[in-house]
Amino acid sequence: MIKKSTFLLAALCSVVSIAQTAQVDLPNVSAVAVTNPVGLPQNSASVSVVRGPYLQSGTPTSVVVKWRTDIATQSVVNYGKTLNSLSKKASNSALTTEHEVSLSGLRPNTKYYFNIGNKSGVLSESASGEMYIITAPKAGTKQFVRAWILGDAGTANNNQRNVRDAYYDYVDAAPKNSGKTDMMLFLGDNAYGSGTDEEYQNALFDIYDDMLKKSVAWSCLGNHDGKSADSATQSGPYYDIFTFPTAAQAGGTASGTEAYYSFDYANIHFIILDSHHTSREVGGAMYNWTQADIQNTKQDWIVTLFHHPIYTKGSHDSDTEDRLIEMRLNFMPMMEANGVDLILNGHSHSYERSYFLNGHYGFANTFNPDEISKGGNTVGSNGYGDGKVDSNGAYKKASTSAEGAVYITTGSAGKISGGDLNHQAMSVSLNQLGSCVMEVEDDGRGGQNLTVKFIRENDDIEDYFTINKSGIALQADGTASGLISGRLFYDAAKDEVKLKLDDNERLKKVKFYNSIGKLVKKSRKKTINVGKLSKGLYVIEVITSKKAYTESITIE
Amino acid sequence: MIFNNKRYLHFVIKRTLPILLFLSLSLPMFAHGDLTIRIAEKTIEISEDPNNFELYYQRGMLYQQHMEYDYALEDYLKSLSLGNTTKALHYQLAEVHYLMEEYKEALKSIYSYLELDSMDLSAKKLQAQILFNLKSYKKSLEGYHYVIHNMKDIRPEDILEYCNIILAENNENYNGALKAIQYGLDQLGPHTISLQLRKLDILKDSGQTEKALEQYNYFIQEYNRNEFWYYKKAKYLAKIKRPHEAFISLKLASVAIEQLNAKFKKMIPVIELKEQIKSLESSINNQKS
Repeated sequence: MIKKSTFLLAALCSVVSIAQTAQVDLPNVSAVAVTNPVGLPQNSASVSVVRGPYLQSGTPTSVVVKWRTDIATQSVVNYGKTLNSLSKKASNSALTTEHEVSLSGLRPNTKYYFNIGNKSGVLSESASGEMYIITAPKAGTKQFVRAWILGDAGTANNNQRNVRDAYYDYVDAAPKNSGKTDMMLFLGDNAYGSGTDEEYQNALFDIYDDMLKKSVAWSCLGNHDGKSADSATQSGPYYDIFTFPTAAQAGGTASGTEAYYSFDYANIHFIILDSHHTSREVGGAMYNWTQADIQNTKQDWIVTLFHHPIYTKGSHDSDTEDRLIEMRLNFMPMMEANGVDLILNGHSHSYERSYFLNGHYGFANTFNPDEISKGGNTVGSNGYGDGKVDSNGAYKKASTSAEGAVYITTGSAGKISGGDLNHQAMSVSLNQLGSCVMEVEDDGRGGQNLTVKFIRENDDIEDYFTINKSGIALQADGTASGLISGRLFYDAAKDEVKLKLDDNERLKKVKFYNSIGKLVKKSRKKTINVGKLSKGLYVIEVITSKKAYTESITIE
Repeated sequence: MIFNNKRYLHFVIKRTLPILLFLSLSLPMFAHGDLTIRIAEKTIEISEDPNNFELYYQRGMLYQQHMEYDYALEDYLKSLSLGNTTKALHYQLAEVHYLMEEYKEALKSIYSYLELDSMDLSAKKLQAQILFNLKSYKKSLEGYHYVIHNMKDIRPEDILEYCNIILAENNENYNGALKAIQYGLDQLGPHTISLQLRKLDILKDSGQTEKALEQYNYFIQEYNRNEFWYYKKAKYLAKIKRPHEAFISLKLASVAIEQLNAKFKKMIPVIELKEQIKSLESSINNQKS
């Protein structure tokens, strides 16, 4: 009797988590693409693709294609712009079960169909053309971008499938750019409970197989991934499965590690941090890299993602947990000061979305809804509003302004876990399953809208907001040619710099310093030929009988 | 036997029911099945099998993940006392002692581990870190050198730590530190920022002014935005009493700011930079006069 009661109580305690993490491997009934190994030569029939293909580290000119076979074999990717003419080939003759082929020399913003195989033939292809790469646009390009954001998805159960299917329904029915997903952004905890290879198979590859064949996946490390991954040695399933740019191959600044990295896509700069294993100290390697990276980008939008949330009162508490507090106190002042627009986190299994914020680094109860100009933590006249175009209006961020960011904790793509969900800085807090989609598009007035929608597992869009940025990519004053100042004229056509002096002023010396401050040219003439100077920025030091002053020109 | 069963059931009620009641009442708080609930579950298992050293080891791991190092250590020591002689336990003991800054105890445990597996790189790295904290720099350096040159996937953080040990062992061994940085750049990529930044610091600390200036120029040429680098270079030039060059570098910083898009000019770091430029310019003018 007592044993029974003990059992019942134990069962009661465990019921929630068990219900949400049990693996129920039902058939995937909503697959949008079916890949069939067709036309296989006899001698390759024994080799099967058991994982992938999936796309990694996409840049405007390259992408990495990865897959796994059950038997070690060569790696071949056939690709081309036309489905029926995959005339190009990238291959590796080494025998392996873990295939990784880099396609390079691609054209930006271009669709390439592909299949994978070995020297004997094709092992996996999509006859209907659902296996393709669309290369990234060149950095700075203004165009429509859609990213699918998945936090704490890896339960491998029907919750995860339902969330996935709701997004597939959304993107298929989208009025604009239907079917297009430029990237998948995973916010960590991609495979419960320890991010093992088998768990990744169940929770990532088996679930998102169709999307992974046509959309580049990026991720940050979650605490559950971190149980089997060792960031100190960059080993374990997470680091084996993913291939991220360590040397700024996709834009940004070289981090030298896959634990944290950045990339550019169109006019958006993405910064991916490791809030779990890596030191979060100010002045640590990750902090220094982040600062150098964010102060090096000229992109219109800056989005960052890491697992541990800045603000949450869901199944975790950003007022009490070390990693969350450290990320908020150490990283956010610097990132906000340098213009971050959107912060994406997981960890709490809920959806919590902030107002339009700046400068709130304290506990939840210190949040002040007033505008920053009045000592508060919100930005703009409607920063404390809901950010909805059809309600309180989009959050406004002029291109000349750095302040204003929205923080989203979206960790319910696989399960929900409740919590108080009452963080004061949050506009919306929901204990609901779902994933987010971020869409950036022109606003028709020379600016852009960045809209994020929370898509529930039942297809409802439960929350949405927009950040409107006006005057995107306003260029700085050009100084290439013409009158630089009242005292200097640069004639680019004639490669001449002309100095204008007062009548009673005598020119003594003119010195040209190049972009690293090196003296490269001297003259005593008022008209100076600069045809032999290489392109770049120059400071010109002018010394006359009356004064010394400096001018600058950019030779293009 | 019946008596024993009754005693056992009484024990179970006494030990487990409060835990279970606590868990059931606090479900909303811990419903995500995270560490707290897993620790509680492990506690129940221990109460049912109190002499199982594996269970103490497992709970210790959970406590360690939860950053409750005192409890983790208590469990590891209990596991040891119950007969756990695995190398994994020795490693965890060493790690948790290290995290608690009990370096002598940590060293004993890592030696025990290395007696069982002398080639494990993670353990050798931990040993070197412990030795460093015990100020046994020479031994620490030997160990870390082995780790760095045998580890498959080093990180920038490893190279930075290696440099610190090199300079702790001999605070004038700048060449050794620079070689370590170069090794890191060769392994991780020539533009790995944290290593390039450390290289700059070492060049400055060692008084290699021309090389330090070259390093500033590297940053200026390598990066899209260079207003901060111009200023930092100017500050260094002023420090080494080369005011005119500092002045030119400040001018370049100002021009670089002017060429930024309006958004960047309004950012706090850039506004602060403008003030710093003004202040340094004024100080340089004083230096000149």
